[in-house]
Amino acid sequence: MSTHLYLQLNPEALIASHLPPEAFGTYLAVGTRQHSSGQAVYFELDMDAVGDALPTRDIATRCVPHRDGTPRKSTYLTIYRALERIPVAALGKLYLATHDGRVLALSPTVAPRVVDRCFHLYQEFCPVCPRVVSTLDPSEFCAILTDPTQPVSVPAIAFAELALGALATDLDTTDTGNLPYSDLAHLRDCLRELQAKPGKPTKVAVRNVSDALLYRTIQGGFYAGAGRELKYYPMPSLSELESTHHDWWRSAQTA
Amino acid sequence: MIQSFLSWARKPRTKTGFLAVAAVGFLAALVAGPLFGAEPGGKAAEHASESTFHCFSLFTDPRYSRLEVIALFVVLAIAIAGLVYALMLVKQVTNADKGTQRMQDIAAAVREGADAYLSAQFRKIGLLIAIITVILFFTTQSPLLAFKLGRAGAFLVGSLFSWCVGFVGMRLATTGNLRVAAAARKSYGEAMQLGYRTGTITGMLTDGLGLLGGTLIFLVYGERAYEALLGFGFGGTLLALFMRVGGGIYTKAADVGADLVGKIEKNIPEDDPRNAATIADNVGDNVGDCAGMAADIFESYEVTIVAAMILGLASFGHKGVIFPLLVRGIGVLGSIISTYTVKAGPNDNSDTALKSVHRGFWIGSAISVVGFFALGMGYLRFDDAYLALNPMAKAGFPGGNPSALPFWANFGIAHADMRPVLTCLIGVILAITLNKVTSYFTHTTHAPVKSLAKACQTGHATNIIQGFAVGYESTVATVVVIAAAILLSFLCYAGTPPLFVAYGVAMTGIGMLTLTGNTISMDVFGPVADNANGIGEMGYDAQAMEAEEKGSYKRARQILADLDAVGNTTKAETKGIAIGSAVIAAVSLFASFIAVIAVGSEDKINQMTTSQYLTEAGKLTVAHPMVFIGFLLGGAVPFLFSSMLIRAVGRAAFLIVKECRDQFRDADIWSGKKKPNYGRVVDICTNTAQKELIGPGFLAILTPIAVGFLLGTQALGGFLAGMILTGQLLAVFMANAGGAWDNAKKFIEDGNYGGKGSEAHKAAVTGDTVGDPLKDTAGPAINPLIKVMNMVSLLTLAIVIKYNIISGTSYRLVGLVIAILCAAAIGWALWQSKRETAEMREMERHFTS
Repeated sequence: MSTHLYLQLNPEALIASHLPPEAFGTYLAVGTRQHSSGQAVYFELDMDAVGDALPTRDIATRCVPHRDGTPRKSTYLTIYRALERIPVAALGKLYLATHDGRVLALSPTVAPRVVDRCFHLYQEFCPVCPRVVSTLDPSEFCAILTDPTQPVSVPAIAFAELALGALATDLDTTDTGNLPYSDLAHLRDCLRELQAKPGKPTKVAVRNVSDALLYRTIQGGFYAGAGRELKYYPMPSLSELESTHHDWWRSAQTA
Repeated sequence: MIQSFLSWARKPRTKTGFLAVAAVGFLAALVAGPLFGAEPGGKAAEHASESTFHCFSLFTDPRYSRLEVIALFVVLAIAIAGLVYALMLVKQVTNADKGTQRMQDIAAAVREGADAYLSAQFRKIGLLIAIITVILFFTTQSPLLAFKLGRAGAFLVGSLFSWCVGFVGMRLATTGNLRVAAAARKSYGEAMQLGYRTGTITGMLTDGLGLLGGTLIFLVYGERAYEALLGFGFGGTLLALFMRVGGGIYTKAADVGADLVGKIEKNIPEDDPRNAATIADNVGDNVGDCAGMAADIFESYEVTIVAAMILGLASFGHKGVIFPLLVRGIGVLGSIISTYTVKAGPNDNSDTALKSVHRGFWIGSAISVVGFFALGMGYLRFDDAYLALNPMAKAGFPGGNPSALPFWANFGIAHADMRPVLTCLIGVILAITLNKVTSYFTHTTHAPVKSLAKACQTGHATNIIQGFAVGYESTVATVVVIAAAILLSFLCYAGTPPLFVAYGVAMTGIGMLTLTGNTISMDVFGPVADNANGIGEMGYDAQAMEAEEKGSYKRARQILADLDAVGNTTKAETKGIAIGSAVIAAVSLFASFIAVIAVGSEDKINQMTTSQYLTEAGKLTVAHPMVFIGFLLGGAVPFLFSSMLIRAVGRAAFLIVKECRDQFRDADIWSGKKKPNYGRVVDICTNTAQKELIGPGFLAILTPIAVGFLLGTQALGGFLAGMILTGQLLAVFMANAGGAWDNAKKFIEDGNYGGKGSEAHKAAVTGDTVGDPLKDTAGPAINPLIKVMNMVSLLTLAIVIKYNIISGTSYRLVGLVIAILCAAAIGWALWQSKRETAEMREMERHFTS
């Protein structure tokens, strides 16, 4: 029975499990007795690449099958400060589980430079989880947030870019129909503030987002990195979601 | 057999049925008893003329030309042609590709559930139908066996036809949905055509059977056809009420139950195979939107022709009876031709498909209108010889002379009267206008639905408030349209006695339902496409399809989603026609009601004078306390009826939610490794819908009887007026508000005001959930309620006149006893509708233990 190591982003936790990634996602989303539900976003980690940076030494003693031989679903190794200690190179595939346990796997690639929009909206997952508007593209955003010389920084960050629609290029647009954010007027004000103050690259729009992430709002994909080292997990195209990942996509839209 | 009957009778769920049977039987004994007792003298003389009655007398009656007799046979042939066309379409549909085994299994589960429901319902109400048949046999005023058998037999035939339309239509819908899902894997056009033609089968069945019944009755009974026609209309109406009520409860209980557990609690998509209520939800689409609606339109089709034939005979003589039958024949031909023209290409989309459906309706309308005019110019000639044989018709012309009619009324043709044609045309325009009004208030492209979606931005409450406003406004628009149609019909006959005006209104109803075949095709297409989408969701093998041809799965799903959208639109449009036809039919029947009060019984209706009619009509004023009391009570009944139905949906949904939650606790079901027990939810829906039928059924049948016997005929007149008014308003409000809430949600889901998952969307979901039982259960059930109450009033009026407490001519105590029994039965039904059932208590115990 092989052991997998996962980094859950919401909330942050390092978990060892005998379950393969898809089954683990279903387990996270709906639990064992199916009385709970909730989406989950998590990385599978390369245990060798993690090395001694994390308390993985006791995995072998703690993550053992149950007495009846059934696999151990989760062994929590740490519930905070996990991401900052994991080398970016150790981050494997990213998995997105919906409320009812459908799982989509995203493979990492090199982050492209985004030049087609003036403004960006980022949802941070860990170590903190505000929703931030920025004039920086994802690479620059990661670099500046993880730059220890900045007044406020984090060692590493995982985030996703969210859709701003026409607002990304035109702050006065009325074409905001499909943006499900609760306070669009405030969001627009935040963007205007960035526009008015060229020296200010980021602004927190929502300090703490309590609602589940609407996967349909993901623009481009997910990012995880520290400094200039950044991994990009692109979302499949809409066409691919509708045909190849139809079940997951339908489930993701229901939430 | 006796043993199996007894064991069935001992089952708890049949006990309620026995109560209904016992109540009706008891009532029958009370009503029938006095008829065999002492009666004032002169009865033998009164019925002297009846002893000469012969079946098929019109073949030898010199007043009927050979051409008229041939025309009636042509109508009969057209009715049969409609049925043959339906049969041809059945073959087309059943021979189409059935898809994979997985798809067939899902369709079979839906079909089994639908069959089980209608069979259970028929078992439940079959006995009631038999008992009412016997009651009608004994309560028919005529002493002749032919008329007693005619009315009772026609009632039985009418109810069987209505059930047949619902059952066969639903059976074919559950066959067609699989074929549509299978065809969607290849071509849009093929899938669209199969779906629409599946609906056409039900449409042509309605057309064919309705026309066949009316024509056969007229051929057999000639000028005494009203004796049987009332029974025929009542049979269709009563069955429609039960199918509408039962189907409405079933469909919404399953839908709400499936959504509450699936979408809201578990966040799983619609039609997810893990949800135990999924199959019941799909079954519900068929029993509610297909069987219920088909039976509803069928009874409107019957009742309008019954009203037109009765009033036609009393006003214009036999031409007044034959003309509506010929018009219906033209309508059936128009439907056959126009429904066949509805086609779509392999790469069409929902817009082009919708245009094709609408083009079919326009083609049918054009064929019908041209046919009406040609027929009117050729047939509606009232020469001196005709007027000599039918002297009552003279009152319909200025100075008794048809040539004195203005140009617009005879187009300059000697002895011609084109007013019936014009009133039919008004009916066709009314149907189209009501379609447009419904579409305006419920379609996403118009302001009302957009205003609801906008209101969702500020929360759940503002959406509900705005929905009420839109619903209320839509009732006004609909009333104005219907009132305008009645006014135009009245203006056509201005200056003539009221019976002629009533005939004009009845002909408007005939015109309105001319394209019943197209209307039902459009309506049934909705559940067929909806079910096909469900079969695609549950039954398509995405990987296999993609492996076979890249992009084929997405394309097929898109086709099914498009067809579903088209079906939703066409289904919503037809609801306006159903409600409008109920009002028009009720107004026509109301005129017959006044006529019967004026002359004492319906068999003397053609002996009535204008002054008699006007005298009785003049008494129906709200200044009269009894009329006003009746008016108030009648106005309240649709509210009580709606309350009972909405509560029934809540009770049934409660049981379904509990069952689904229970099944979701099974880890294997949740993980998709094991199929849920769909049958248990189907059983809950079936049993609950049957049980919940009884209360509203009692209310519909017994309230007019109680009011009539307790408060007299004038109060009963006021009761009917109040019931028609509030019933119509409430039905339109519920249908349009519910439709608008539903489409406001769809509008947001299409990417407006935040789209899916936004706060606005959550508010829209609340509105849709509130609107569901309004638009699909209570609202549509008010149509047959209006007509059942009218028919019951008309059928019992003769004995109400005799035995009522206020102005009865004999045995008033009998009236009192009947009124008390009816009131007690209604009270019991109301109590039943509020109490917690044994199953609910048992479930509560099960889940809390």
